[in-house]
Amino acid sequence: MELLLFNIFNGLIVGLFYALMALGLSLILGLNGIINFANGSFLALGGYLAFTLKPEIGFWGALVASPLLAGLIGLVIERGLIRPLYGRDPLYSLLLTFGLAMIIQTMLRMTWGANGLPFKVPDFMSHPLSQTYFFLTGYRVFVVVLTILAAGSLFALLQFTRVGVRIRAGNSDLETVSALGINIYRLRAVNFGLGILMAGLAGVLAAGRLGLTPTMGASLLMPSFVAIIVGGVGSLMGSVLGGIIIGVASGIVTTYYPAASQVVIYLIMAVVLIVRPRGLLGQEGLLE
Amino acid sequence: MSQTNSEILRAEDLHTYYGKSHILQGVSLTVGEGELVTVLGRNGAGKTTTLRTLMGLTPARHGTINLFDRDITRWPPHKIAKLGVGYVPEGRKIFGHLTVHDNLRVPAARPGTWTLNTIYDLFPRLAERRSSKGANLSGGEQEMLAIARALLLNPKFLMLDEPSQGLAPVIVDEVMHTIRQMRDEGIAVLLIEQNAWLALGSADRAYVLGDGRIVDSDSAAAFLENKERVKALAGASLDPAGTQ
Repeated sequence: MELLLFNIFNGLIVGLFYALMALGLSLILGLNGIINFANGSFLALGGYLAFTLKPEIGFWGALVASPLLAGLIGLVIERGLIRPLYGRDPLYSLLLTFGLAMIIQTMLRMTWGANGLPFKVPDFMSHPLSQTYFFLTGYRVFVVVLTILAAGSLFALLQFTRVGVRIRAGNSDLETVSALGINIYRLRAVNFGLGILMAGLAGVLAAGRLGLTPTMGASLLMPSFVAIIVGGVGSLMGSVLGGIIIGVASGIVTTYYPAASQVVIYLIMAVVLIVRPRGLLGQEGLLE
Repeated sequence: MSQTNSEILRAEDLHTYYGKSHILQGVSLTVGEGELVTVLGRNGAGKTTTLRTLMGLTPARHGTINLFDRDITRWPPHKIAKLGVGYVPEGRKIFGHLTVHDNLRVPAARPGTWTLNTIYDLFPRLAERRSSKGANLSGGEQEMLAIARALLLNPKFLMLDEPSQGLAPVIVDEVMHTIRQMRDEGIAVLLIEQNAWLALGSADRAYVLGDGRIVDSDSAAAFLENKERVKALAGASLDPAGTQ
């Protein structure tokens, strides 16, 4: 029983990484119309930045600064490389972000080395909170709380601020948004930065749990796409739900038949696509 | 009504393409301060393209557009809007998944008389439905919302693309009343209509568009005196009942 709970909880944590990543992917897909294959590399970048910043500004400083820094780098890349591709055949941006993913990954490897690096979280968070449920460490609970906070802040931003309202409006009709006096170039840049920020945050959190490797993002990327499809394209809430569902399912399967722990993710996707092709919460527009 | 004082808009020899199809083939028109100008013409004559070109949504390949004494020919839509241009697009283009209130929070508000409060005073129906999704509004409510949204920019110039489309006659009267009200408050209006009788009833001047060219223009009163003239040039939708 403990083993099952252990795996479920582990799955939940990984599922939350999927969820954060899927949130970023969904945002960028929605407004920028780009399937961002580089999201995984940005996730790893966030983790590595935290690794380098931690000795200077401590864990908490790195936790805040690294995602912001990743987001800023995202802004620069959006401005320089992605902006010229808006409105063109999606194949261009697909190729670009795919290439970008490999370039960033190689740069990470050249800068920090190909071997895994540990990312130590503060001591007080690494101890189990309970004797029986040894897997409930402070850090894992912290990951859950922080993911809820991050997703909650993102939803609040989209729901209550003008920028958020414009992003939601732009998801369905960017042209009309621009005719209403909104600089859609800036809006898309902000949105892209937000998406990368989410990936960067997932990177820092995942580094504390899984350690750092240049390919850490790549292995989280595919399940994050699955999370979007399961949750429903166009629904941010669905992305979160999809991430949690496939993470937990993978955890449960690990208990009984570890070899199938990855396959089950794709099985769930297949079932969802057959039974409900638009995904669990897939509807027109966001947050519905 | 009032004659042209000074021009706010002067478009000259506009040529616009969709891919390879040459839609506007040299459209020139002007709008004066405080004037209500209508562009008539049958389906496919290029009416919507004319507005989209003026708004920067489908930029002209040749020609010039001067607005408020600025050359805006190559400007992106948001810069044109921020000069004080309200645009009510064809089919209203309400953000269906947003609430009425959120729809009204999208435009880049310019300072002026129109704020969320004054807009809700002008359109009490929108105030009642402020929490409803845009998609759940009736056609008339959506039209009002699209006009309200454009007014929040506090425009000096308002462009409307077939606001009467698909609305019941009673609602059409209401919409036209609002448009005249805006003109009377000093906003210049460029109104696109297929329903010539309806538009001429409110307009100061009219252009007739056919196959991407201006084929006729005159004061609305002159057009109304000679029905055959409109009929010959515009072709469609000329029964006084106003439906088609």
